[in-house]
Amino acid sequence: MSSRLKIVESRAGDVTVLRLTGRLELEDGDLVFRDHVNGLIAEGRVKIVLDLNDVTRIDSAGIGMLVSKYLSTQNRGGTIKLLHLTRRSDHLMDITRLATVFEIFDQEEDAVRSFEPTIPQQ
Amino acid sequence: MGAESAPSRRILIVDDDRALRLALSTLLADAGHRIESAGDGPEALALLHDRPFDIVFLDIGLPSMSGLDLLARARALATPPLVIMMTADDTPQSLVEAVKRQAYRYIRKPFPPNSIIEVVNDVAGPSVALSFEVVSARPEWLELVAPCTLEMADRIQSFVMHLEAKLTEDVREAVAQAFRELLMNAIEWGGKLDPNRKVRISCVRTKKMLLYRIADPGEGFDIEGLRHAAISNPEHDPIRHLVVREEKGLRPGGFGLAMTRSLVDELIYNEARNEVLFVKYLE
Repeated sequence: MSSRLKIVESRAGDVTVLRLTGRLELEDGDLVFRDHVNGLIAEGRVKIVLDLNDVTRIDSAGIGMLVSKYLSTQNRGGTIKLLHLTRRSDHLMDITRLATVFEIFDQEEDAVRSFEPTIPQQ
Repeated sequence: MGAESAPSRRILIVDDDRALRLALSTLLADAGHRIESAGDGPEALALLHDRPFDIVFLDIGLPSMSGLDLLARARALATPPLVIMMTADDTPQSLVEAVKRQAYRYIRKPFPPNSIIEVVNDVAGPSVALSFEVVSARPEWLELVAPCTLEMADRIQSFVMHLEAKLTEDVREAVAQAFRELLMNAIEWGGKLDPNRKVRISCVRTKKMLLYRIADPGEGFDIEGLRHAAISNPEHDPIRHLVVREEKGLRPGGFGLAMTRSLVDELIYNEARNEVLFVKYLE
């Protein structure tokens, strides 16, 4: 069975935006996603925004892979932030309590800008 | 980096709607497949006897020979194709009849073009397309015994969700997600993804509720020992179980039970925990 997940990558400075289209499920998208993020980590690109607007299905294994790669990037000084959650994936984030783990954005520019270092107020 | 491309398939499209035949032929030929088409059952049968096909897209409402009869004859061939039934008929009876005759998938018209490409991409290959046993083929009680493979899980989920086509979107999504998580648990952990082992699935519909029961061939599990599942996490740390999974060499995941508990009204395991049922009440 061929994978039903497509990933389109764009870069804004040291932030990488990945647009996922299709299914993020067990042995159907989860491994494509893992390999793509592992490739970015190997390049040192650990600040990642995931646009989930066009993810049609996601299961426990897909969510597990999201969290696994979130931890991998965190271990290397980066992180993964989520963008454009569908109603369904938003609900899954709630019931798994992962909405308390991931930063979630509605606008891409806000997600990218959130990686900029903040200057502490005097 | 993106999705892998599917291998080229020999596909027969059978529909009395000439415009639909043409549209499907163009779509699938553009995707790299070899296409032939027929407008009725006898013409399709002649083609099927003349040369092998990997996949047949078959309309149920054909003139002169019903699509369900043609399905049975196609599946009886020495090298049977995988048959994907297409219908505008919204009754569950035609679905269960298609299941009984070992349809590969069932697609309700009208369908988005992408769903056609997706279903062809789903096909691993006729040689590995296994059969399931139909224990009961009533719309109120569908019961199947199926090999423990990921491909079979996709097929069964597709059938079961079409059976529940008239539910509200929220209920349908909740049931689909819960059913998939429990079925995958049964097939992956109980059945070890071994096609020689079988999972038994019952879907019962009453006026006021949907009930799904899944029995796997494994030995069950001890819920106290599920430190690798999200249900064991403390309130303040929803991903602690992933550390345990990594220590045990398990793939990332473990959210299935936590998700299912939130999506359905009742979730009950038997004592050994190799059988589970869940209930969704209908308003």
